[in-house]
Amino acid sequence: MRVRSTLAVAAGTLAAAALLVLLAGASPAEALAALVRGAFGSKAAAGETFARSTGLVLAALGAVVAFRAGVLNIGLDGQFLAGAAAAAAVGPLFPDLPVLARAAVVLAAPLAGALQAAPAAWLSEKRQVPPVLSTILLNLVAAAGVTWLVRGPLRDPSGDYPQSRALTDAALLPPLVPGTRATAAVLVALALAAAAAFVLARTPLGLAMRAVGESPRAARAAGLPDVRLRTGAFLASGALAGLAGGLEVLALTGRLYDPFSAGVGYTGIAAALLGGMTPLGSAASGALFAALGAGSSALQRDAGVPSALASIVPALAVLGLLLARARRGEDR
Amino acid sequence: MSGFVEIALLLAAPLLLAATGELLLERAGSIQIGLEGTMLVGAFVAFATGRSGLPPAAALAAASVAGLGAGLLFALFAVARRADPILVGTVWNLLALGATAFAYRLVAGETGSVLEVSTLPRGLFGIPDLVAASFLAPVALHAWLARTRPGLRLTAAGENPEALRSLGLSVVAVRSGAAAASGVFGALGGAMLVVTISPTFVEGITAGRGFLALALVVFARWKPLALVPAALLLGGVTALQYRLQAGGFGLPYAFFLALPGFVALAALALASARGGAPKALGSPAP
Repeated sequence: MRVRSTLAVAAGTLAAAALLVLLAGASPAEALAALVRGAFGSKAAAGETFARSTGLVLAALGAVVAFRAGVLNIGLDGQFLAGAAAAAAVGPLFPDLPVLARAAVVLAAPLAGALQAAPAAWLSEKRQVPPVLSTILLNLVAAAGVTWLVRGPLRDPSGDYPQSRALTDAALLPPLVPGTRATAAVLVALALAAAAAFVLARTPLGLAMRAVGESPRAARAAGLPDVRLRTGAFLASGALAGLAGGLEVLALTGRLYDPFSAGVGYTGIAAALLGGMTPLGSAASGALFAALGAGSSALQRDAGVPSALASIVPALAVLGLLLARARRGEDR
Repeated sequence: MSGFVEIALLLAAPLLLAATGELLLERAGSIQIGLEGTMLVGAFVAFATGRSGLPPAAALAAASVAGLGAGLLFALFAVARRADPILVGTVWNLLALGATAFAYRLVAGETGSVLEVSTLPRGLFGIPDLVAASFLAPVALHAWLARTRPGLRLTAAGENPEALRSLGLSVVAVRSGAAAASGVFGALGGAMLVVTISPTFVEGITAGRGFLALALVVFARWKPLALVPAALLLGGVTALQYRLQAGGFGLPYAFFLALPGFVALAALALASARGGAPKALGSPAP
């Protein structure tokens, strides 16, 4: 049953995508070829897919960690921005010490992400404020914060545009393979996915987190520290999204500008849903969405299909999945 | 100063319309956090209709039809099929952002120039009459919720759906109706932007207004009448922000951007448990 509905969702999504390609006046076969070429067709293309995977995989992991513990953290996008802002703030402080600059970014970014999630965690446990509402509001605050930072305290005085001072080239992560944009950041993301999979599935902590997420009352009655587990998951989720933002700066952009996030936090949630809320599944969907994103520029250039197709297809797939599951009466 | 008041009202109206629809849906016990997406769809449909040469009133009508569709789609997923409304809303935002960007490309082609549409004429109060009328929407909703039988049933669906069901009434039907209406309001909010202050379309033109409207509902503690001063305040603050931005002040501008989020967070934090939210908010229909 599960296999059949998954196949039905996949077929439906592909059919819808083919329809959209036809609407744009292109042939689906050519579009598919262009997409695959753009995502994997060359060294640079594959590198782009890997580079784009980092943020999506980490954001998806953030969603998994929170959602599995029963915390609906919709604030990943704001936490991503907080991490990026922290990276842009501390990275340029050490112009002559690239290693220290990297270390500062890798420490500050997850911390900032966790701090960005902290008010929502506090409001949820102490004031019964639904995290959905508080995290959406915190996303607005974070976006405004970036607007302020790049025009105010972090502004690069030498540039014409409102953007932060750049990290030195020596501090930025070098490409794994020359001529590509893929860096060690993607390996960090994949390692964290494996670690999260191990912790969730194989450790007492993971079991306790899942117990709290699946049945908060029963977990509490069994003596589990439910408040601490939920809060910890919330902060860890924020830290993962914050790290995503920090690595985006350290590996790709070198600085902060406004607007900085193209909805990575939200797409991460979609990737986690498509990945069945498991770390490895979510990492795989995150990488798939990254390939779609990388391939879509070739799609627009070579086949004349608007690149926005890359954000429609994941959304359609997840909606189909939600419908298929709802029909079977599964909760999540 | 008349320019300032006019801009404040024009900025408040789309927020107010979207927030009124969202409040209606939340009072019925569901929640659509994809309001941003619905506003975006409304804005795009209004733009596309305007580009085809039809007048602004027709653009609003077309947008409300699209909003009806969006609302019914949400109802199918989140109400009838009982998928988690939060997840449906999150994905709906992504879909709407992608779909409107895709469709814009098809309508506008490769052009880099700004394509404009015609706007509503000024009416009695110096602003278009339809903008003025949108300030009556929360008042009408207040009266409808408090004074009419369907209004009371809608409140029951949000506060005590089991009771509604024990009367032999369908919670799914009530919430689906609310979702359809809120889709219309949300899309009208987005469309109102296009036929008044920003007569064009760009990707993500709603710029977070849907999320601000969600904040307004919380800030108003789920009371329709409280939406009016809250939206006016927000419209005024945004209009002020435009002035400050033109004046080149960095800090106050971003501070005002963050203000609505802060204020709504504070409202949530200071309110006693759940701050007046409908008791069954977000729970599946029995």
